[in-house]
Amino acid sequence: MSTTSQKHRDFVGEPMGDKAVTALSGIGEILGRKLEEQGFDKAYVVLGQFLLLKKDSEMFTEWLKDASGANSRQAASCAQCLKEWCDAFL
Amino acid sequence: MPVFVEDPAHLSKSRLKSDLVAHNVELPPGKSKKEVYVQLHLKHIDQKNAADFSSDEEDQVQDVAKPEDAEMPDPSGLTDDDLKAALLVHGVKAGPIVASTRALYERKLSKLLQSDGHYQLNGAEKGILYSDSEEEEENGEEDDAESDVALQPLAKWLHRKGSVLYLTITNISFYFSATRRRPIKGAAGRPVQYAYPDTAVSPTTLERREVERRLVPILIQVLVFLIVVCVLYLIYVCLWDTSFSPFVALLDSLNQMSDSEEGLLLQTEVQDTPAPSGQE
Repeated sequence: MSTTSQKHRDFVGEPMGDKAVTALSGIGEILGRKLEEQGFDKAYVVLGQFLLLKKDSEMFTEWLKDASGANSRQAASCAQCLKEWCDAFL
Repeated sequence: MPVFVEDPAHLSKSRLKSDLVAHNVELPPGKSKKEVYVQLHLKHIDQKNAADFSSDEEDQVQDVAKPEDAEMPDPSGLTDDDLKAALLVHGVKAGPIVASTRALYERKLSKLLQSDGHYQLNGAEKGILYSDSEEEEENGEEDDAESDVALQPLAKWLHRKGSVLYLTITNISFYFSATRRRPIKGAAGRPVQYAYPDTAVSPTTLERREVERRLVPILIQVLVFLIVVCVLYLIYVCLWDTSFSPFVALLDSLNQMSDSEEGLLLQTEVQDTPAPSGQE
C-alpha cells in the first residue's frame, strides 16, 4: 500500500491501549459492530487474533473477511495497520 | 490420454516403475526382477482398469480418486494436533490451533491438498484429468482454476453420465456464483499447473517472475542497441578524422602524382614529335 489513511497513521503512531475495534484502519462502524458481536470489542483482541495467526497477513485477511464481512481492501488495510503497529511496538 | 491396455509384460522396466509410482504403489526394492514389477502392475493397475472399463475417463476417475481418498481425510474430522501435523507435511508452520483459528487452518489444508492433487496429476503426465468423485468431495472452498478448466472435460463426458448431470450442473453454477473474480487462466486447455502453480506463491511474486522472464530479452535489446550506436559513432569519427588528415593527404598526393605524370607524358610527347620530323 503506497498511501495510508489518517486513521492508519493515528493507530500506528501510538500504543493501542484500550482503543475500540473501530480505531483499526479499515474497520468502520458496521464492521466494528459485527466484530463486537463476536467478542472482538477491542483493538487488542483483534491484535490477539492477528498474533495467533503468526502475523500472517494473508490468513488474517481471510479471517477478517469471514468474521466481519469486510472486503479485501478493508481487510488488507486492517492487516497492514496491525502489522506496522507490531513492528513499532512489539 | 493413456489407456492401460498393453500387456505389462511387454513394457520396459522403467515404464513399469513410473506407472507404479504414478499409481501410488510402493516400489519393490531396487534389485527386484522385472517379474516383480509386472506382478505389481497387474495387481494394482490393471485391476483398477478391469473394475470399471466403460470409458477412458472412468479409468482416470478411479486412478485419481484412490490417492485422493487415501490422502484427503476431511480436515474437520482431524484433531488439532493432526491438523497441525498435516499442515506441517505441506510445509506450513501453523500457529496455535484454537477455536478462532481452526476454521482457517482447515480451509488452508484443504486448499493445499487440492493443489497437491493437481500436482500429482500433472506430475504423472496424464494431461488434464477430472473426476466426478473429486468434485463431490469438494466442500465449497475451491480453487477456481479447477472450475474453469473442469468445464472442458465435463462437457466431454456429461452426455455419458446422465445420473451425475444434475449434480455437476449444480456444482458448476456454484463455482460460478462463488468463484468468479479471478481470471480464467486454465481455460485454454493448459494444465492446471500453470494456472495455479502453488498456493504459497503470492500474486506479486508471480508478477515479479513474469517481469524477470521478460528482463533478459530487454537487456539483450539494450545491449545490441548500444553496440550499434557505438559502431555508428566510431564510423562517424573515423570518417571525420580521415577527411581531415590522412584521407585528404592521400587525395592530394594522388592529384600531385597524376599532375606530374601528365607533365612527364607531355614532355615525352614533345620529345617524340620532333624525332620523326628530324628523320624526314
